Amino acid sequence: MIRSIVALFVFAVALCAYIVMQPDKGGRQANAERAAVTRAQTDSILGPIPDAIAPTNAALIQAPVRNTAPGLALETEHTQMERTAANVLAGLGLNVEPNPNADRVDPMQEMTASVLSGIGAITGNRVKAGFEAPEAKSALELLVVKALQEGQDDAYINTIVNAAAKAGEISVPDILVTSDGDVDTAVLLSSIISQAQIAAGGPAPAVPNVTTGEGVEVRVVQRATQAEQYRFYTVNQGDSLGAIAVKFYGSVDKFSLIYEANRQILSSPNAIKVGQRLAIPSL
Amino acid sequence: MRAFFATIGVLTAMSAAPTNAQNVQISSDVDSVSFSVGANSFTITRTQDTAAILEGEFAKTSRPCPEFCIQPMIVTAGVAPLGELEVIAFLENEVSAGTGLLLDARLPDWFAKAAIPAAVNVPFAALAADNPYQTDILRALGAVETADGLDFSNVKSLVIYDNGAWDAQATRAITALIAAGYPPAMIQNYRGGLEDWLHLGLSVVLP
Repeated sequence: MIRSIVALFVFAVALCAYIVMQPDKGGRQANAERAAVTRAQTDSILGPIPDAIAPTNAALIQAPVRNTAPGLALETEHTQMERTAANVLAGLGLNVEPNPNADRVDPMQEMTASVLSGIGAITGNRVKAGFEAPEAKSALELLVVKALQEGQDDAYINTIVNAAAKAGEISVPDILVTSDGDVDTAVLLSSIISQAQIAAGGPAPAVPNVTTGEGVEVRVVQRATQAEQYRFYTVNQGDSLGAIAVKFYGSVDKFSLIYEANRQILSSPNAIKVGQRLAIPSL
Repeated sequence: MRAFFATIGVLTAMSAAPTNAQNVQISSDVDSVSFSVGANSFTITRTQDTAAILEGEFAKTSRPCPEFCIQPMIVTAGVAPLGELEVIAFLENEVSAGTGLLLDARLPDWFAKAAIPAAVNVPFAALAADNPYQTDILRALGAVETADGLDFSNVKSLVIYDNGAWDAQATRAITALIAAGYPPAMIQNYRGGLEDWLHLGLSVVLP
């Protein structure tokens, strides 16, 4: 009896270890290859970009797939922001695979995709999974690539992107929609810069410790054994969820922490409004 | 393992051989069954060599248990067990008509070695609740997303199999489907699995 329990336990542990190790292995290898490729190409390509964009410590995003609330002015999508930024860089000739985590092949995604293909081959109806986003470059990416190639400045890019978005010509990542219903191109551009920096071997953006500033509010709650600090932020004019994530976490990819903590008042990542008081979870 | 491949090779070669004058029929009045699924057509016959025996992987009698334990005939109430003739009838009637699917619940490396014709590989792990994309697979099986969760009223009828009576993969797939809300009446279990299928010399495909 004891032996069989021990054997079962060992099998379970081995299975867990196998499952846990699997994605890491692939991911690390892929990263190593990628770093080698991107570094070789970076210097010659990065030249024209920094003139056009002021580097900030913003970074990359991975937006989870969610349903967009209907009836909003701009057409938005849950594209992965880092994918948008990477595609822009690719359009400029810099082949980066931005966030190593985002690109790690998820074995369950792979398995699910192959199951769906198998069922589709029999039924003739291939069901598309949520994670199977279109690969083609979006109109937004093409627009930004063109402007950067022309050496346009931030203000110009902001103007054309907003004009195209309002005309319904492009669809933008939902976390870039500001409280005024505009497109926050500054966050997009700084994300492009940080991806280029990381691809060039630079460090990931640091997490700032924001405790003061307009709209920032810190509450300290005394518990029996420790004091807990809660941060809140009141949305100002022109803020996007991506910009708030950069402000508090140094990187847009953490926006979902804020979004999830404020689901009661945020129906979707682009539904941000001036005066909303958002809880900012600690990392 | 080489022996296993050899066995499979012999079996497939046999099933591809001319099928007139069958000594080994599927039943007393049926020597082969042909059906088509979409653009693909399949024929199921039996190995005609009356001296053929299984060798390799599927000839083993004593796999270690725990791990490869004997599975129940009735996984859970409402899930009917099937034999080979019922599986063949299911392929002929339901799978070819698009109302049913034969699911191979084994992990892909097993499926790649040999599978029952027209089976779809849906590994048990893909159906488990901890697959974040489980819903996508359930949708492909006919479940419809509604405001109140998934609606299973128009799902496909499923027959699920794995390596055989000693293999828990089909049991796990069935348990996971039912836990997700799939109606037990729409699931049937071919417990004999690939081992019994091969033991009767029935045709397999290399997907």
